[in-house]
Amino acid sequence: MQLIGFLILFPLVVAALLLLVRGDGLRNAIVWISAVVIAAGSIMLAVQYLGAAWTGFVFSSQAIDLVACAIGVAISAVVIGFGVKYKNYLAVGLAIVQLVGDLIFEFGFAHGTHVEVGLYIDPLSVVMALIIGIIGSGICVYALGYMVDFQKHLDEHGEGLTDLQRKDRRPTFFSLMFLFLSAMFVIVFSNNMIWMFTGWEITTVCSFLLIAYTRTDEAVRNAFRQIIMNMLGGIAFLAALYFAVLNAGTLSFQDFILFGLGSPWLVAVPVCLLAFAGLTKAAQMPFHTWLLGAMVAPTPTSALLHSSTMVKAGVFLLIKLAPLFAVCMVPAQMVILVGGLTFMLCSFMAISQTNAKRVLAYSTIANLGLITACAGVATPEAIWAAILLVIFHAAAKSLLFLCVGTAEHHIGSRDIEDMDLLFERMPKLARLMMIGIMCMFIAPFGMLIAKWATLVSFVDSRQMALVLLLAFGSAATFMFWGKWLGKLAGIAGSPENVELDVHPSEWISIALMAALALIACLALPIMSKMLVEPYITSVFMQLGSDISVDNLWITSILAAFVFVVMFAGNRDSKAKRADVYLAGVSVDSDGRVYRNSLSGETTATSRNLYLDSIFGEGIVRRPGEILCAAIIIVAIIASGFVPPVL
Amino acid sequence: MSFIATLIGTVAFAIVAPILGCLLAGLDRIISARMQGRVGPPLLQPYYDVRKLLAKDNVSVSGVDGVYMTAALVFTAFAGGIFFSGGNLLMSAFVITMAGLFFIMAAYSSRSPYAELGAGRETVQVMAYEPMVLLMAVCFYMAAGTFNAGGVFSLNAPVILYTIPAFVGFLFILTIKLRKSPFDLSTSHHAHQELVRGTTTEMSGKTLAKVEVMHWCETVLFLGWTGMFFVWAGPVSLILGIIVALAAWFFEIWIDNNFARVKWQAMLRSAWAVALVCGGINIIVLMFM
Amino acid sequence: MGYASKSPWVIHYDASSCNGCDIEVLAALCPGFDVERFGIINTGNPKHADIFLVTGSVNERNISVVKQIYDQMVEPKVVVACGICACTGGIFHDCYNVIGGVDKAIPVDVYAPGCAVRPEAIIDAVVQAIGILEEKSKALKESKKGA
Repeated sequence: MQLIGFLILFPLVVAALLLLVRGDGLRNAIVWISAVVIAAGSIMLAVQYLGAAWTGFVFSSQAIDLVACAIGVAISAVVIGFGVKYKNYLAVGLAIVQLVGDLIFEFGFAHGTHVEVGLYIDPLSVVMALIIGIIGSGICVYALGYMVDFQKHLDEHGEGLTDLQRKDRRPTFFSLMFLFLSAMFVIVFSNNMIWMFTGWEITTVCSFLLIAYTRTDEAVRNAFRQIIMNMLGGIAFLAALYFAVLNAGTLSFQDFILFGLGSPWLVAVPVCLLAFAGLTKAAQMPFHTWLLGAMVAPTPTSALLHSSTMVKAGVFLLIKLAPLFAVCMVPAQMVILVGGLTFMLCSFMAISQTNAKRVLAYSTIANLGLITACAGVATPEAIWAAILLVIFHAAAKSLLFLCVGTAEHHIGSRDIEDMDLLFERMPKLARLMMIGIMCMFIAPFGMLIAKWATLVSFVDSRQMALVLLLAFGSAATFMFWGKWLGKLAGIAGSPENVELDVHPSEWISIALMAALALIACLALPIMSKMLVEPYITSVFMQLGSDISVDNLWITSILAAFVFVVMFAGNRDSKAKRADVYLAGVSVDSDGRVYRNSLSGETTATSRNLYLDSIFGEGIVRRPGEILCAAIIIVAIIASGFVPPVL
Repeated sequence: MSFIATLIGTVAFAIVAPILGCLLAGLDRIISARMQGRVGPPLLQPYYDVRKLLAKDNVSVSGVDGVYMTAALVFTAFAGGIFFSGGNLLMSAFVITMAGLFFIMAAYSSRSPYAELGAGRETVQVMAYEPMVLLMAVCFYMAAGTFNAGGVFSLNAPVILYTIPAFVGFLFILTIKLRKSPFDLSTSHHAHQELVRGTTTEMSGKTLAKVEVMHWCETVLFLGWTGMFFVWAGPVSLILGIIVALAAWFFEIWIDNNFARVKWQAMLRSAWAVALVCGGINIIVLMFM
Repeated sequence: MGYASKSPWVIHYDASSCNGCDIEVLAALCPGFDVERFGIINTGNPKHADIFLVTGSVNERNISVVKQIYDQMVEPKVVVACGICACTGGIFHDCYNVIGGVDKAIPVDVYAPGCAVRPEAIIDAVVQAIGILEEKSKALKESKKGA
């Protein structure tokens, strides 16, 4: 209990402190120390509550409710302020709706509804706390070095920018990062749905401010896209709270779920609305564009939004709602279809992208789609798979983002085609990036195990449309990861090593992510037993009969083998070096230059296949958005009068 | 228990599959020659080729392709071991994909334009056949009630009775997996093609020998998958499985000799259409059974 | 016999000349004669080939190409000069740009004269080349052991 309070409040204090600190040295010290403290705190929490079932803590206070309401008002005020300043009246309108809804709810509607058990902890929140505490604070440490380079770049190349855009806003940046962590802890530990909603809204507005960090037109535009989409979700969440009070008479999340299990027809609408909120936050189609737009932000922001926080809040809510999906058909079908379609279509669109960060973004959305679909299927196997996907995705994706961020600063591009020869130019980084990529999609790594479990659970629950979506979607994932991996693997000559001046803080956090991915892959059977299965048993009272432990061990042995291949001197030093075959006379083999028929010199160039004519955004995006939007609209309307279980 | 069995199976597969695969490859070349009105090479020609390649000098463009190919071979052996020790079919399919990935990386590592193009096409090939492989496994699971290949021995009737569409779809993508014309886009068994030798352009000596051995093992594994559809309780059915596998293999050689290579667009579209139709229909039918 | 002689993969290159020899070489490799009986495969890739069949004389334009192909072949390797032009420059020997036979560019192991070179001569030369290949293969093995 104290530990939970500490995890929520400590980042808040740090955030306030960082706002005041201007010097680099002091900031480094504060971020380092507090990152270690938060990580240690979440590990202690995990040790303390390992395997424990749902534990509630009686904790309520009128004051906190009022503070939550005040925060809600402040959030709306911030959005309205920015909306007026940048003349985005849609955002202003939504903020006003939310503000009014918030105030009526607090002072008129739900004033009498009291939640005794304000905080709780269960195995799922332990998993989430570990992800937020370790990966989230690791990203904060990474940001220290990254933001130095980022600011230097702004100072040196910022001729065309206004003073506002060039301003060193790092104190705010780090402050927001820690505020984000605190809000995430609030979300995963709050049983009081008002508090949870407050955390939810804080993450929304924090990411708004982080995306708009550079204040360029593009950044501001994308930030507003984010806030509009997420405020739609926020308003749906608020509406769900109204229904929860109205139909279930409670604002305790646990009571709400228990009540829903008993009378599903009364909770179908709020569940649908909550699921809608989860879908917006998890950037499912048609709301996926906010996550793509978020790529304009500095890379640590992307890493934070994508891997450990923000989007994970969305899927966390969906996984928590899983027991209700099992009894409410309409929201379950909505979540399943939107998740499955998003997985397949975003995997398709990832093929056509050359920008590394966009590939990562699409793959994030796709994976979240898979988690979403699993949550909707709501069998023990599916939830097992969903939680494993959350874990592996957090570790591997943050590793990849940090690698791409560092590579971008040192090769000056985030285009995959420019990552040619990275194996030589940034040997350590390229290997780590390759490991990250492999973790994302291929056996024997955990991500694929989770996908496998997903497949099994889809088949077992007779979700045949999902099986097809999964089959085609995962084939596409092979293509876009495989060709990126190949680009990284290229070796020619001995180009200059450009990774020597990477900041130590970046190395340390990249190494941390790699170590986490490694541990997660190698210790998969143990992790499954210690972290994931307790949640499954506590919620479903039974374990899914799934992938046998033997198979898990086989995969971890194979994973270890891959790590050895990648890192233990995979260069055959005895082999004589040969030139590449260029069907003519090579002038410079490393540069692929050959003498052409006119005795001139020609450079052979080759690009990867991007299959734009089949999987281009222009072709896939619109139908996907329309389809998913239609599904969501129909489901929300239908949830009002279609009986929960047919 | 099954863990130990897998390890034993892997070692056994690593010994037996190259021998069987080598004989099959030799037979393939003889049959192809006969189809073209030639006598063809000796049965052990693939073995001679590999022995020669092993004796060649150690030369490499990138220096890492040999290591990647070793990894690919190890994964192929594991995939075979998992399958033939009665293990999980999906697992076997995933691990063989890993082998394919290392093969692709070996090709990319040279940065040769030809090898890169070949490797790019290879990723498209994987993408083309992967859905059908997954759906085939799903159909098998729905019909047999288990993903374990060993599970067929406790069935009352072979899986094929319920999975004819999936089997047909699998035969279609088997052509891609065995790198047979018209789908031998990334590299071909036959010399002289527009990409020089595609993925294997820059590989020589030992590395190329590893590629050959990997192909042998892959052939044995995929024919094992094919035969699995026809096996049920009783050892006699094993013979039926082997006969069907060999017939499918003969059919693939016939296709190889009778069809010209297509473009990747045609391969991708046809393979996905087949997967969607065959796999989809089969799954829906099994769902209602 | 070692394995090198059982699996001689060839690559052919037409340096210059009237193309007569080139046509003869390709004709000898075509399915009608079924050289695959002896394990011979016509590879299009120097990195896979053991025997280099060159036709035509070497001139200023193509000498670097001939050298490059030879360099890219992996040891052990042998070179067969097919036709009189490849052997000595032949009828083109005193052309303004002709340097001479293939041996002006790379070491030649077997000479198969003729204009155009007869199939019998090609086969004869390749058989000899296989013998030399075998010897070189053994020598390489010895040197590896020694090293």
